[in-house]
Amino acid sequence: MSTTTPVPTRKPPTAQDEAPVFSVSGLWKVFGPKPERVPADPELGALDAAELRARTGCTAAVRDVSFDVRKGEVFVVMGLSGSGKSTLVRCLTRLIEPTAGTIAIDGEDVRAMDRTRLRELRRHRAAMVFQHFGLLPHRTVLDNVAYGLEIQGVGKAERRERAAEIVAKVGLEGMEHRRPGQLSGGQRQRVGLARALAVDPEVLLFDEPFSALDPLIRRDMQDEVARLHEEEGRTMVFITHDLSEALKLGDRIALMRDGQVVQLGTPEEIVGSPADDYVREFVRDVPREQVLTARTAMRPASLGESAEGPALTPDATVSEAIEAVARTGSPARVMDHGKCLGVVDHEQLLGVVAGVPVAPAAGPRATPEAV
Amino acid sequence: MATLTVPALRTRTPAVLRNRAVGKLLLLALITAVLLPLLHGRTWPHHLTVSLTQPLTSASNWIIDNRDTHPLFLYFFGYISNAVVLAVRAVYVALLALGWPGVTALGALVAWRVAGPRLAAGTAVAFLACGALGMWEPTMQTLALMVAAVLASVLVGTALGLAGGLSPRLDRALRPVLDTMQVLPAFAYLLPVVLVFGIGVPAAVLATVVYAAPPMARLTALGLRGADPEVLEAVESLGATRRQRLLTARIPLARKELLLGLNQTIMMALSMAVIASVIGAGGLGDRVYQALSTVDVGQALAAGIPIVLLAVVLDRVTGAAGADGAKGPRTIGWPYALAVTAAAALAARLLGVLDWPNGWSVQIAAPVNRAVDWMTGHLYSGVPVIGGTADWAAHFTTWVLDPIRDGLQWLPWWSLLLIVAALAWVIGTWRTALTAVLAMAAIGVLGVWEPSLDTLSQVLAAVAVTLVLGFATGIAAARSDRVERALRPVLDVFQTMPQFVYLIPVVALFGVGRAPAVAAAVVYALPAVIRITTQGLRQVDPAALESARSLGATGRQQLWQVQLPLARRALLLAVNQGVVLVLAVVIIGGLVGGGSLGYNVAFGLAQGDLATGLVAGAAIVCLGLMLDRVTQPTERRPGKGA
Repeated sequence: MSTTTPVPTRKPPTAQDEAPVFSVSGLWKVFGPKPERVPADPELGALDAAELRARTGCTAAVRDVSFDVRKGEVFVVMGLSGSGKSTLVRCLTRLIEPTAGTIAIDGEDVRAMDRTRLRELRRHRAAMVFQHFGLLPHRTVLDNVAYGLEIQGVGKAERRERAAEIVAKVGLEGMEHRRPGQLSGGQRQRVGLARALAVDPEVLLFDEPFSALDPLIRRDMQDEVARLHEEEGRTMVFITHDLSEALKLGDRIALMRDGQVVQLGTPEEIVGSPADDYVREFVRDVPREQVLTARTAMRPASLGESAEGPALTPDATVSEAIEAVARTGSPARVMDHGKCLGVVDHEQLLGVVAGVPVAPAAGPRATPEAV
Repeated sequence: MATLTVPALRTRTPAVLRNRAVGKLLLLALITAVLLPLLHGRTWPHHLTVSLTQPLTSASNWIIDNRDTHPLFLYFFGYISNAVVLAVRAVYVALLALGWPGVTALGALVAWRVAGPRLAAGTAVAFLACGALGMWEPTMQTLALMVAAVLASVLVGTALGLAGGLSPRLDRALRPVLDTMQVLPAFAYLLPVVLVFGIGVPAAVLATVVYAAPPMARLTALGLRGADPEVLEAVESLGATRRQRLLTARIPLARKELLLGLNQTIMMALSMAVIASVIGAGGLGDRVYQALSTVDVGQALAAGIPIVLLAVVLDRVTGAAGADGAKGPRTIGWPYALAVTAAAALAARLLGVLDWPNGWSVQIAAPVNRAVDWMTGHLYSGVPVIGGTADWAAHFTTWVLDPIRDGLQWLPWWSLLLIVAALAWVIGTWRTALTAVLAMAAIGVLGVWEPSLDTLSQVLAAVAVTLVLGFATGIAAARSDRVERALRPVLDVFQTMPQFVYLIPVVALFGVGRAPAVAAAVVYALPAVIRITTQGLRQVDPAALESARSLGATGRQQLWQVQLPLARRALLLAVNQGVVLVLAVVIIGGLVGGGSLGYNVAFGLAQGDLATGLVAGAAIVCLGLMLDRVTQPTERRPGKGA
């Protein structure tokens, strides 16, 4: 799929019992005449896109989507163009009005909000970064970053001061007084990112933020987002069509096709056990050894194996395991807090790389969360 | 046999009909054949006309009788009229109080602030030249009228533009009206306002506002609609209110269009303020008008040069304000500019030179008239081999204008309608064809069929000449950078000049009559046609041209087989613009002996016979609509500012 190497920067997702930031269930967005009848009628809802269009003249961009975004995680929605992912993220803050379903932010119903409340949500709780940046060309970098605060009514001196901090944080010192037209694409997106960060939102929404950038700049920006996430632990919803970007950044990935979520899981789950042929085709070229972990690849230790051999953490990638095994020539132990969970040897590792399940020997598959 | 002919027919008939133009023409021919028994006579049948003279005369009499008593006039039009008079007077008094040093300083400093030192110097020179020509006072009168009219136009235009930019429904309702207003000749606007306000400054200002506000409205709406949707979405995603979105995003994003709208509004206001001398605007236009009516070319030129200078300065300064990066480090602050202006005005007052000193004026009228007399004596006729200018004009009238006019008037009226329908339908849609035919028929119904055909003949002759010259020059400019570079400054100046001043040189060269009117129209329309042609040819996909060249096409083949066909849309637009601009000047040509509709309007105004003038004005509107629709390609772009 991609030549860029996914670097596992993921942290383990936070505890499952904590209340989700965004809770979406049964969400529909239908464009066209009298859209509300499509979700209401199960028969219409079951039609595919062409049939629905022929029957009703409507297009269902988002079909019956449900998911939770947990606090502190990077939730990636990924799909090809036209899969409805951009519509989905706009529905979260009602930049596009959903047709049916519920959206809750911290338990509060977003669809029931009046205009004032909704404005509050957009001003303080969720900020968005756009594909083509959406900067105001007549303002300087500093004033663009401060724009969200200006909208909130923050005074000039204070908002400039706070904007200057954020500008420094995203690495744009010295460019405060340039106009967006004088910046490169990557720098402009840093301004877009800074503008979203300046309002200190609870959730950051990214709508394909890096797809308009050159590959090298894109990698820089991905690292920047990963770094920010590591530093601040802010919840992020990240839309992308780039699988390697999804795997690199996502704690969990929802893979969309034709408006529906076809699979939702950790990168390891998506790559390791695709839900259907579409997903399998999608992840076919992913370097599996860099996504799957020793936890997935290991088999139960047989007698004596748990005492010797190189030790690995359960979250070590298979490629790290391969290196360890190749160096020592013996099976490696998967150790968690001094306890041996299992071992990986040549057979398991080669099976992972080849994509051939070595099922009988493999241990219980680690599925930390249910979909 | 039947089984054989049917498939043969089936394959052949569509092949002919597949050409949509042929299909349309066949349909029209069929309709005519059905209606033919009903149609007879050459000129428009008398029983199909509606005489409006009686009701219009009584309406205008009623208005004149009730102007001082009826509450509508007392409490509505009266207030408007008074407000306009007050505003113009206030500006005029302010300008006089500044004196020529103050006004020159203010103009130069404003130009410096928005456009840099070079234009500041140009502005100062232009103002001083106005004074030196002995035209300071009329210049200030025109300027005062302009300031009041431009302010009102900008207010009205921005309000309409905001409404159209924010509400799609209003935009749909406004756009066709504004588009149509843009193509009507300036002369058509004069009579309705005179009917209500009488001849005088209020009528002149209001006609100017009606004429100059549409571009502001169009461009404001365009700018607001054209804002990058993702920027607006980003602004909304940050929780902006509607007001915040409008003030911090939409209006600043439309800055370029707003300033372009201001530029166009100012240029159109100047153009109209000059023409409105016919209805009592006073100022420079009045001087030109008076001088032309006595064929005093010297005086006309003395008043015409300030108009051109004013036009060029206003266009360059407002144009520079719209261009980004115009502000160099050498610009000056507003307080400084105002202080210098005040100082200049004060100094002038103390020295007692507020009015332009008599001794400093240069009388150019007499020498110019001597030159014109010499031309009349030596160049008008009898020059060996080439003849003279008056001979040319006479020949043009005899050999071109008369045959076209006689031909048009000889054609049966229904066949003219048919030609109009066919042209409009082949070039545009059935909708434009219907409008064109209805407009043409309305001319007949109004009872001015014959004079309208006279005007039409002048328009056709002028358009033909314009297109031949314009396309040739445009092609030359498109093929040679050197020609284009040489032409550009000329076109820039010519495109900014008000229509009225074109009459001056042609009267000097050709005397009065229909031929000079046509000549003025050609000169006025030529720059736009050249420019659109050049741009259209230059914008042809370079890949297509390169592939033609790689196949070994000669320059001529490239032009005929690639550039011209691909630039078809631009060429059609050039024709459309050419027709609209030519009509505007041909109508004004009524003032210099062009006769027909334009003369009727001028005559109606001069004699107080508003009925004749209004009917002619309505016919001008119909003619303008018809000519625009006949040449309208499916999509339009805003054309020349004047």
